[in-house]
Amino acid sequence: MGVRDSRSVVYTTRVLAYLALAIVAGLAAVERKGFLQAMLSRPVALAPITGLALGDLQAGLLLAAPLELLWLGAVNLGASLPAHEALATVAITGGAVLSARALGTAVTADVALLSIVVCAPLALVGRSADQRVERWNDRLAERAEAELAAGHPRTAARTNLRGLALPFAVAAGLAPLGAEVAARMVPAVIRALPSAAAPLRLGFLAFAALACASGARALRVRSAPGWFFAAFAGALALGLVTRGVHS
Amino acid sequence: MSELHRVPRATLLRVFWRCLFLQASWNRRGMQNLGFAYAIDPALRALYPDRAERLEALRRHLGFFNCHPYMASAIVGGAIHHEERVAVGLEPRDGPLHYKSTLQGPLAALGDAFFWTALRPFAGALAAAGALLVGWQAIVVALVLYNAVHLTLRVGLFRAGYAGGDAVVVNIGGLNLQGLADRLRTAGAALCGVAAAAVVLTAVRVAGPAGAVLAGVSAVIGYLALARGAWLMPLTYAAVIAAVSAAAVVLHLGGAG
Repeated sequence: MGVRDSRSVVYTTRVLAYLALAIVAGLAAVERKGFLQAMLSRPVALAPITGLALGDLQAGLLLAAPLELLWLGAVNLGASLPAHEALATVAITGGAVLSARALGTAVTADVALLSIVVCAPLALVGRSADQRVERWNDRLAERAEAELAAGHPRTAARTNLRGLALPFAVAAGLAPLGAEVAARMVPAVIRALPSAAAPLRLGFLAFAALACASGARALRVRSAPGWFFAAFAGALALGLVTRGVHS
Repeated sequence: MSELHRVPRATLLRVFWRCLFLQASWNRRGMQNLGFAYAIDPALRALYPDRAERLEALRRHLGFFNCHPYMASAIVGGAIHHEERVAVGLEPRDGPLHYKSTLQGPLAALGDAFFWTALRPFAGALAAAGALLVGWQAIVVALVLYNAVHLTLRVGLFRAGYAGGDAVVVNIGGLNLQGLADRLRTAGAALCGVAAAAVVLTAVRVAGPAGAVLAGVSAVIGYLALARGAWLMPLTYAAVIAAVSAAAVVLHLGGAG
């Protein structure tokens, strides 16, 4: 009876976690384009929010900066569609938290890196989904015109809000799915290759450094390379000197 | 011709709230046309009690529209300014359409250049570098700063558009957003450099000089590869595989030594 109860608790917790991921991903997908656009769906805000929703703020904070910098250039200019950084961020953070739970540890850099490797392609899947959403919205525009022709101005105007449903549904479906795949694969890899943990942790730092470079490349101004490398060298030197003084 | 009938303040607030949903049904045919019609509809209801006139006015605003979502607030406000004149016969019915078609392109370009490629990446870089150096508080500060600028400009542009119509161009020109954008991009690039240094210093702490070299090389080679046109995703996977392999070799040699 006790075993059955504890299984029931584990099952309920897991279902609630996927529900939380679905809601966070759905709302982020809406905020990203359809409503407000106040940076709440950017990885730097969304990873901690996702972590918080799953009861692990630290996991979100570990991932926030590198994911933000990696996708700093993901902007919606005119009719172009960027990678769906919000969808991937929720899946990556969710995958990392659930993987760590399965391993009985906190989210460490090795778990975070493997979750990124598994879930990052969702950003491209999300972009394809966005293209389909736009085609679906063409139909909404036709429907609004038909409502107006039928003499229903209020219904015609309110058709706009229907466009929020599909991005919400797509993200709410895909993010928990991505997290589930990560939660199955990441613990399996770490259990099978325990010696890989240390190299993976260093790999996470290399990934974070590459993300910084990606962020700098997203800032298109002629002086950007000079400022990036000068600030890199200057801050590094300052950090090493300070470290030397303290040690 | 009769006296100008002003849209009530509460209705203007409703219109502004609806401006936040401008891209809810972004589509390839009319782009933000549904969002624009949805936003301006309460004002049209206030201006045109006659159903047929209201239908015609809404049809006007269901045509093609595309602009930066923040800058579009100025055009929505300005379109109401023009509709108030159309409603009392001071302006021809296509006046608001001319206003929209004249302003949407330039304001879209300005909004994309300032908000999407300068202010938001700068705020993102500030939040990320701050999170690495200070903690979560930096993220909150960066988001508050970004939204203070974003919402102030969004509200201000809506009010300026409504009050002045075409004169909003002068207000926007006075902001000198283009010059500010270049400075924000430069500062953002520097913040990315600081973030890279923070990552390398963490690598020094975690894995000593070998870890620092690995992270530093990743930042430098990564930047150069991206500058030469490498695709982000393949480059990321290649960098991760190379870094993990190199780390495994270094750690193995270190262990053997």
